[in-house]
Amino acid sequence: MQKQDIETQYIIEDSQSLEDGKRIDTMTINMGPQHPSTHGVLRLILTINGEIVVKAVPDIGFLHTGIEKTAEAKTYHQALVLTDRMEYLSPLCNNLGYSLAVEKLLGIEEEITDKIQYVRVLLAELQRIASHLVWLGTHALDLGAMTVFLYCFREREMILDVFEEISGVRMMTSYICPGGLQADLTPAFDGKVRAFTSIFLDRLQEYHDLLTNNQIWMERTKGVGILSAKDAIAYGASGPVLRGSNVVWDIRKAFPYSSYEKFDFDVPVGTNGDVYDRYLVRMLEMEQSLKIVNQALEGMPTGAYRVRDPKVAPPPKWQITGSMEALIHHFKLYTEGYRPPKGEVFVRTEAPKGELGFYIVSDGTAKPYRMHVRAPSFANLEALPLMIEGGFLADAVAAIGSIDIVLGEVDR
Amino acid sequence: MAITATSTVALVREKFPQAVVETVNFRREETIILLPEHLVKVCAYLQRNQQYTFLSSVTAVDWLEREPRFDLVYHLLSIPNQSELRLKVRVGQRGEEHPSVPTVSGIWPGANWYEREVYDLFGITFAGHPDLRRILMPMDWTTYPLRKDYPLTGFDLPEPHWGGQVPYDTDPGVGSQTLRTPYSRELNESRSKISQSQEPGTEKK
Repeated sequence: MQKQDIETQYIIEDSQSLEDGKRIDTMTINMGPQHPSTHGVLRLILTINGEIVVKAVPDIGFLHTGIEKTAEAKTYHQALVLTDRMEYLSPLCNNLGYSLAVEKLLGIEEEITDKIQYVRVLLAELQRIASHLVWLGTHALDLGAMTVFLYCFREREMILDVFEEISGVRMMTSYICPGGLQADLTPAFDGKVRAFTSIFLDRLQEYHDLLTNNQIWMERTKGVGILSAKDAIAYGASGPVLRGSNVVWDIRKAFPYSSYEKFDFDVPVGTNGDVYDRYLVRMLEMEQSLKIVNQALEGMPTGAYRVRDPKVAPPPKWQITGSMEALIHHFKLYTEGYRPPKGEVFVRTEAPKGELGFYIVSDGTAKPYRMHVRAPSFANLEALPLMIEGGFLADAVAAIGSIDIVLGEVDR
Repeated sequence: MAITATSTVALVREKFPQAVVETVNFRREETIILLPEHLVKVCAYLQRNQQYTFLSSVTAVDWLEREPRFDLVYHLLSIPNQSELRLKVRVGQRGEEHPSVPTVSGIWPGANWYEREVYDLFGITFAGHPDLRRILMPMDWTTYPLRKDYPLTGFDLPEPHWGGQVPYDTDPGVGSQTLRTPYSRELNESRSKISQSQEPGTEKK
């Protein structure tokens, strides 16, 4: 029997056939888009033989918001807020990638002070921990461990408090912007970060105690959803998915941006490329991120929080009220924006989910002619069928959790 | 000698002199612009012999006024050599609704979805692609949203909006938004003259 799925035009086959003298009954079932363990609106069309997944076809696009199209109609600093909303679990990392791309286009990378770079690194790493905490909580919840979820969100809340302290917003901060930061750090910032860093290592140990040597956890994750190193590279998988498959690759090390070369940290890699390895890689990454946060906090330089170029960053408030020229700059900046030269840049950064690339084409006007986002989740999701085909249906849930997708970024 | 982007550009120029249109270096990023018919050959060479095993993205840029109209952009990465490279091909003659490019999904399997995305949003087809379906937009969508002649606000939809789908037997009209270029304005006008029975985005009969 053959019929076509209306939405995807994918041919559904429910068939009975004889293979090696055994009767094979396959059935096509639908998983998602409204399914708690698909982390958003992912739909999978699964062909199953008993409990074994024979074929998996992901169907995406339920959260397509046309961000790339919208960005073409916004000026460069207006388009910044769109990047927050793509990968809503790590908005600051998206801000960072976008800001680096725009700065490269403008050619003002040299003017970014050490202070700005250190704050950016610090926030990006805090964001990485926050993103991994959401992943850990939901992943464990999918596999039946509810306690971890509550603990993870407790710690994440402390990080969101830090963001609220500096920017006034918990999640969609847009705090990192082309030309520096939106505002200076507040006096309470240091204390809030230290309050988090002083407890987090112990809390991380708590999660390890709950899961890492837990027999049930190991049964559910070891040897499940295996992705070989060769396949991971061929399918463009990046971030913890690639490192879990034993490929030592981290953009922070390979193409250091925002002064990552000054920080001392290790890149954890897995050995088998299964769900358990990806779990361990992220757990160890949180530890490394904490190390970077501590180094950034200790070595925090003093200096300006945005570049002095009034064509890119607004002049300080006290100048606007006193100087005509500053007022004009401020007005021109927010009405017209700035005009990068004609050209194109592609900037890669290591976001929590993997390689986040911003490709921006400028035609010399104040609006990006084209902004393309190389979303890590998009490529990681493409490798999903390789992980789950041939495995149990229940293991598909473990594999989906382990690649840590955010559909806002997959569909953009 | 270690492989770098600069050495790769020199090598490609030497090995495939007839394939290279020009090379560009902007902000220390190397770009090679190729002729579409040589794309697969060069990509295969870079992937097999020069360790560019990682394809970061495939995307397109619509230069409405230019001929050829579209830039197809490939971002390659070599993990062992820590080298990044951009390849470009230019396609789409005036009046060509669906320009065609040979697929690279045989070289990098991951290109499958990227090319589907480009097909979905730009209407560029990939010859030899194993599974060329729409990926982000609904399957019955008829137009290509990232083209520059597609208005930001979308086509005017008659009430009620049936889930964003344009009913086939209505005049699509065009949103009131002004487009960037004279050519697209002309296109805008001609679009609103589309006959009642015509599906939006399809070629005129």
